[in-house]
Amino acid sequence: MTEKITVQDLGKPCEQLIDIKAGSLMALPYPYDGANDHSTIAQLKEEQKKRYEASLDGVLAIGIPKPASPAEEKALVAKFLSGLSKLLDKNDNWTFLQPLKFSLEYCARCQTCNEACPIFVSSGRQEIYRPTYRAEVLRQIVDKYLHGQSKFSRWFLGNNVELNWTTISRLAELSYRCTICRRCAQTCPVGIDNGLITHELRKLFSQELGIAARELHEVGTMQHLKVGSSTGMKPSAFMDIKKFMEEEIEEKTGRKIEIPVDKKGADILLIHNAGEYLSWPENPAAFAIIFDAAGLNWTLSSELVGYDGVNYGVWYDDVQFSRIAIKHAQIAKELKVNKIVVGECGHAHKALIVIADRVLTGDLNIPRESCMPLLEEIVFSGKLKLDPMRNNFPVTLHDPCNMVRLMGIVSPQRRILREIAPQFREMTPHGVENYCCGGGSGFAIMQSMNFPSWRSVISGRMKLKQVVDAFQDVISPDVKKFVCAPCSNCKGQFRDLLNYYDVGAKCGINYTGLVDLIVNAMVDLKQPYLEVD
Amino acid sequence: MPKTKLAGMEIEIDEDGFIQEPDKWSKEVAEDLAKEESSVHPMSEDHWRLVNYIRDYYIKFGVAPPVRMLCKQNKFELKYVYEMFPKGPAAGACKVAGLPKPTGCV
Repeated sequence: MTEKITVQDLGKPCEQLIDIKAGSLMALPYPYDGANDHSTIAQLKEEQKKRYEASLDGVLAIGIPKPASPAEEKALVAKFLSGLSKLLDKNDNWTFLQPLKFSLEYCARCQTCNEACPIFVSSGRQEIYRPTYRAEVLRQIVDKYLHGQSKFSRWFLGNNVELNWTTISRLAELSYRCTICRRCAQTCPVGIDNGLITHELRKLFSQELGIAARELHEVGTMQHLKVGSSTGMKPSAFMDIKKFMEEEIEEKTGRKIEIPVDKKGADILLIHNAGEYLSWPENPAAFAIIFDAAGLNWTLSSELVGYDGVNYGVWYDDVQFSRIAIKHAQIAKELKVNKIVVGECGHAHKALIVIADRVLTGDLNIPRESCMPLLEEIVFSGKLKLDPMRNNFPVTLHDPCNMVRLMGIVSPQRRILREIAPQFREMTPHGVENYCCGGGSGFAIMQSMNFPSWRSVISGRMKLKQVVDAFQDVISPDVKKFVCAPCSNCKGQFRDLLNYYDVGAKCGINYTGLVDLIVNAMVDLKQPYLEVD
Repeated sequence: MPKTKLAGMEIEIDEDGFIQEPDKWSKEVAEDLAKEESSVHPMSEDHWRLVNYIRDYYIKFGVAPPVRMLCKQNKFELKYVYEMFPKGPAAGACKVAGLPKPTGCV
């Protein structure tokens, strides 16, 4: 047992605050119950440790360059403090002030949330990953440096935080060790949202100090607004891939479908995560097949930003978030559609359907819906001829956090799977109590230095355990089986996770989206739609 | 930004080995990248076919092609792509083709 790390320790310079040992992690089920060969986080290179602030846990998510001088450090600390007071001001934080204040003021330190956190539990209960730890750091800073808490109160309440660059830089990295899955908020007896505190910290760092993960900001939201997509895909590329999907559809189904683009007055504007077009084009193609067969009046958009439904702002920056959300709504307004339907992307659900309500006013407040109830309606309408025996292999369902816990969309995807997949089985727990894939809040796209390794070893560990547990009775690699993950971000995480643990070869587990499984069950297809890697 | 020596030149690379100065890309730079990153030496005709395809697509559209398209148009099985570039199409082939690191939910 190591000594318990306190809030004060975060501000004490040392080479590395914690060092996670393979043997201390949460145990995994068969066939990962032997040696700890998949449990070591990759080490940073020496020169990376010299260039960046890596003294939290030896892992780099943001990679903050080391300030050149003590004066620069001081200036950053001052910016943090002034930004923090803005965070607590109703004129500057009109988005989340109320839940933030509530979460800072009412936590009873009962620690009920701890065991609900997959990162805390998977890591072997590392103190700094405890969901209340980063919240407590922030709370103590607010009390001591903004509210002028007296020395006696600080002693009495055990407030020992020190505000310095070490604290701040570690806190910034620490705000990227939580996937904002919000299981902690769900389990809290009073509703304290430590996930929101993570979000507000990231926002403070981005909006006030210019510190954010490069994948989310520079080549994320910035590129999205400038080029049209966070993937760098220009409208011409989108149109080229659309043509490619039409060819693929004809080859696989024998149907000639023209995918509608920029169709004015369509009923539905369907927006996908652009990652689908590049990494999983069979998913938007499956949507086209289903919508066509159901006779819907729908369209895609080829406008800048309109063909990419992601909004990474929702993870770290309210300003960037608003810019993208408004653009999405404007495009729908110009197309005169009745509603926007969001494809299989969890965070786009959260961004466009829920949080955008804070910024879309007047005629920009266009109805925005999840694709899940619509797909359920289509599947049960009888418009598609489906034969479940075409999906006669074990299937389990991964619930994207934003669909289930945030929005309560739980039953449509299950009703569909029970109808089209005879060997469907739930993982435990599921629905609103699901575990994050480990790639939430932007983690799945943060692919630099040793962060992907941390993501596979720590933040995805609980999900791997759940998936392997769900298939224990058919774990042989000879039995092909699927995790259905109706979310691009989750699929990216599954691809990396299954690859890291060699799950395909060891257990025969693949991943896919939901519409892919629906199309696979269509009776008039000559060949299976799903391909096994 | 770290630097490395490729084809006798100092070239800036990012933390994951993708070159940051696209103007300096050449066939020699590609050969060196393939050798260092994927232990491929020398690149075969198929390696070049894949790398040129990715590069041409990128120059035209600003993004690497979908993996599915890349396999289909070149008549390569995905498995074969991984045999050629063990780190895969993105971390392997795109890097050799001198593209920046793929971004977004890909």
